[in-house]
Amino acid sequence: MSEPLRANRTASWLGGLGLALVCASWLVSLVGGYDVIADVDITRASEAPSAAHLLGTDHLGRDILWRLITASEAFFGPGLLAGLVALGVGVPAGALAGWLGGAAAGLLRYGFTVVSALPRFVLVLLVCAIYGNEVWIIALVAGAAYAPIVGEAIYERVSHFRGAGFVLAAEAHGVHPLRVLGYHLLWVNCRKLVARHALQLFAFFLLLETTLSYIGGFGVEEPQPSWGNMIAFEWATFEGNAWATRAPMLAIWGVLLSAMLVGELFSEREGRR
Amino acid sequence: MSRAGTSSDCVRMSGLRITSPDRVLVEGVSLTLTPGTLTALVGSSGSGKTLTTRALLGMVDFRPGVVAAELTVTVDGVEHHPYKTPTKRRAIERAFRPLRGGVLGYLPQDARGSLDPLRRVGKQVAACLTLAGAAAAPTRLLQRAGFPDPERIAELYPHELSGGMAQRASIAMALARGSRFLLADEPTTGLDPTVQEGILKELVAMVAAGVGVLLITHDLRLLPKIADRVLVMSGGRLVEDLPGAEMLQMRSEPGRALLTATARVAGGTLGELQAGGA
Repeated sequence: MSEPLRANRTASWLGGLGLALVCASWLVSLVGGYDVIADVDITRASEAPSAAHLLGTDHLGRDILWRLITASEAFFGPGLLAGLVALGVGVPAGALAGWLGGAAAGLLRYGFTVVSALPRFVLVLLVCAIYGNEVWIIALVAGAAYAPIVGEAIYERVSHFRGAGFVLAAEAHGVHPLRVLGYHLLWVNCRKLVARHALQLFAFFLLLETTLSYIGGFGVEEPQPSWGNMIAFEWATFEGNAWATRAPMLAIWGVLLSAMLVGELFSEREGRR
Repeated sequence: MSRAGTSSDCVRMSGLRITSPDRVLVEGVSLTLTPGTLTALVGSSGSGKTLTTRALLGMVDFRPGVVAAELTVTVDGVEHHPYKTPTKRRAIERAFRPLRGGVLGYLPQDARGSLDPLRRVGKQVAACLTLAGAAAAPTRLLQRAGFPDPERIAELYPHELSGGMAQRASIAMALARGSRFLLADEPTTGLDPTVQEGILKELVAMVAAGVGVLLITHDLRLLPKIADRVLVMSGGRLVEDLPGAEMLQMRSEPGRALLTATARVAGGTLGELQAGGA
């Protein structure tokens, strides 16, 4: 194995470790029982990191590490939902368009273009304004807005392979067309593409959620923690514990980097064959 | 695994006509395949050989007016008429589905392209065995196809195979599928003579086992020795049909031109071609 490839693989494993940490913190937040109200203690406001509070406290005396962990609830579950929606809509639609070709493909791709033409961030804000500021609604809209990207990628791959020799050979061997599409094309030849898009969508949703929460009025609002509102909340009192803003910033950066690195692992392996 | 066809098995196609929007591609082609015989379909490039093979498999565009044929496939005394079904594309597709693979096998020209690039060779052979409902080990089929080290080959991906190895892997898949009739579309094109000989030997062994083979080829040199019948195509039409042993007595102009060109490439005369073939 060449050195650059080995280095990439190590980086991808580090990315995997980063995502595993996020997953673990989400599980901890589900069972941890952190009380966002009871944790307020103004007497320990803006404390520096110590054994009692590993990342210190914010200016309301709340433990930053606990809030950091609990904030993963804001994007992890909804991020998975957004992924399910995007893949659940995009993969079948793209696969059908690529397999059928002709007018059916034209119609489906027209749909992709129409949805893609709407700026995703603006679309989410619009839906939030109309239907309310629920993180699950944001997830549904983000998934639906991302579905055309997945659909177009799957369409490109399936239509490229539709007339390939191995697909014709599979049909000539008597493989049912649905199995050719579902197994030979989607599972064998598109699963890494799908995984890569799922990771990109996860990263996109994290950015979306933290940005909305940072802006305020949308997304997760105080006292519930989100990495976005943690930064916004402490920004005004920047002279306190610097970790109150650094920690969520690093967490966002780390998760985005992890998603990209793991995504690269899939694309690199695919390219080798 | 190869299953010998019964004596009543037969593939009979008559009056094949394939058209494109601006011209007729194939017209009036009729042929018959029977178990245990090798029929060679020869002709220059663009004469319609591959289209004819694809029509036998029902893998030509089914839009109305594009393909017309009388195709009767008799298997175990049961007759199938896939082109007689309603002319809708999906109906024809459905009618061909039970025939593909088990009855009509296919050995493609571009063997490497016909292998799934992301699956190991062994898994692809195993998939064909599963389709055929057979329980044999993939390595056994790879060995039969001429690989001396089947365990190693089974672990390789298609891009790791040479052209000849890919063709052998395709043969292993055809063997695994156990087709009663095999449509071999130029399986030796672009391969070195040693590999060509090995592949032709395997085809002859399949014929001896009772498989009916349609061999499409440009190379006439070995046909007198292995072909039971030789069909010559030119300009989308079947211009000659004669026993393999009488191949050198071709009378049609395209047939004579092919023979002469083959002899010239081989560096000899028609008589020497006969001697080489025999």
